[in-house]
Amino acid sequence: MFFDYHVIIENLPYLLQGLVVTFKLAGLALAGGIFFGMLVGLGRISQRNLIYYPVSAFVNFLRNIPLIIIIFWVYFILPIMVGRNIDPFLAAALAFIIFESTYFGEIFRAGYQSISKDMVGSAYATGLTYWQVARYVTIPIAFRRMLPSLITQSIITFQDTSLAFVIGLHEFVTRANVVNNLEYRSIEIYSFVAVVFLILCYIGSRISLHFETKYRKANVL
Amino acid sequence: MNEVMIDIRNLSKWFGDFKVLSNVNETVKKGQTIVLCGPSGSGKSTLLRCVNGLEPFQEGEVVVDGTSLTDPQTNLNQLRQKIGMVFQRFELYPHMTAKQNITLAPRKVRNMSQKAADNKASELLKRIGIPEKADDYPANLSGGQQQRVAIARALAMEPKAMLFDEPTSALDPEMIKEVLDVMIALAKEGMTMVCVTHEMGFAREVADEIIFMDEGEIVERGTYEDFFKNPQSERAKDFLEHIL
Repeated sequence: MFFDYHVIIENLPYLLQGLVVTFKLAGLALAGGIFFGMLVGLGRISQRNLIYYPVSAFVNFLRNIPLIIIIFWVYFILPIMVGRNIDPFLAAALAFIIFESTYFGEIFRAGYQSISKDMVGSAYATGLTYWQVARYVTIPIAFRRMLPSLITQSIITFQDTSLAFVIGLHEFVTRANVVNNLEYRSIEIYSFVAVVFLILCYIGSRISLHFETKYRKANVL
Repeated sequence: MNEVMIDIRNLSKWFGDFKVLSNVNETVKKGQTIVLCGPSGSGKSTLLRCVNGLEPFQEGEVVVDGTSLTDPQTNLNQLRQKIGMVFQRFELYPHMTAKQNITLAPRKVRNMSQKAADNKASELLKRIGIPEKADDYPANLSGGQQQRVAIARALAMEPKAMLFDEPTSALDPEMIKEVLDVMIALAKEGMTMVCVTHEMGFAREVADEIIFMDEGEIVERGTYEDFFKNPQSERAKDFLEHIL
């Protein structure tokens, strides 16, 4: 039989446990990346040179380095500096959070900057306070404008988690590789992996498109 | 009618090394309509933004309804409730309906109940001639309708004075009139208004005084007749040749 799906069914529990690790890693990468990304974004629009320049240097530096190198740094070099080994999951999570915070940071920066000075002025002119302007005007508008980019970047992050393969983290792709080494069924196994990623990411991109169409219609974008 | 509403005294402002406003003096009395004109970059909009504290200034004083903006005791948010402002590009909140745009400040700043604020919004929408657009988002309104909603949003706070920053210059010609009609009605009802505009018909009908600014200074001031029929300075003559 050319395509033997039994190899997938028999190894499904093992593979799905890997998918759980992938989800955990992506979840941490996104939570940390978005949280620190907000701070990075604020740093990038800061009027204070002491904040703006270091944050900008951090962003430009990391955005011009392959993600895989950052994973290597955290996994191989950081232990030398701190004097103890780091577990692959922790290393991968840390590398992703650092890396993604720069990408999310740029999305937040663009979102903050997309709001015109007069839009903010018009809100202040009605007597709203700083926090009321943020809560009812700038944050809701910026969030709607950023949402499609945030979802797209989240999908990319989800796909990129497979790079943790290089430091031996037993996520989805690593486990698929293990199964392949035992079963020699690369067509079935790697096709299955591709289909799982395809379905999950396609759902994500549809959600992004939904919001983009909705907000474009409302002229928010 | 002699009560002073806005008093600008020796106001100067710099953007870095560039002096945008130079020793500006102006007194606006209650109920007056002042038209501010001049070439772009002359500081008209900046002057307007100084009056409600959207722009800080380095020298001089601005007193609105007896409250000085430079007084550290002054709460700018409270002061701004007294002065409505309308912008060139409308600046309605795109994620809110016309009604929500109007009711946000009364509800959050004045703590008005939703029902009272909604009633107020309906009344204002009727006044500007588009009661049927209450639940429409700005994207579904024409430019003229958006600008009228922006005026209603400012009026919802029951301001004592209104500032207009080129309210019709982003509009198609056929929509200019509907906005000017609302402004003219407002002026005739006795609202104190400072308008940056080049709309001559509006100036003729309601302006008590026309101020001509260039390079951050008030170059000339006078009534409609004085200014348009008989400008004194070369700069004003030159400017009028370009816009008339």
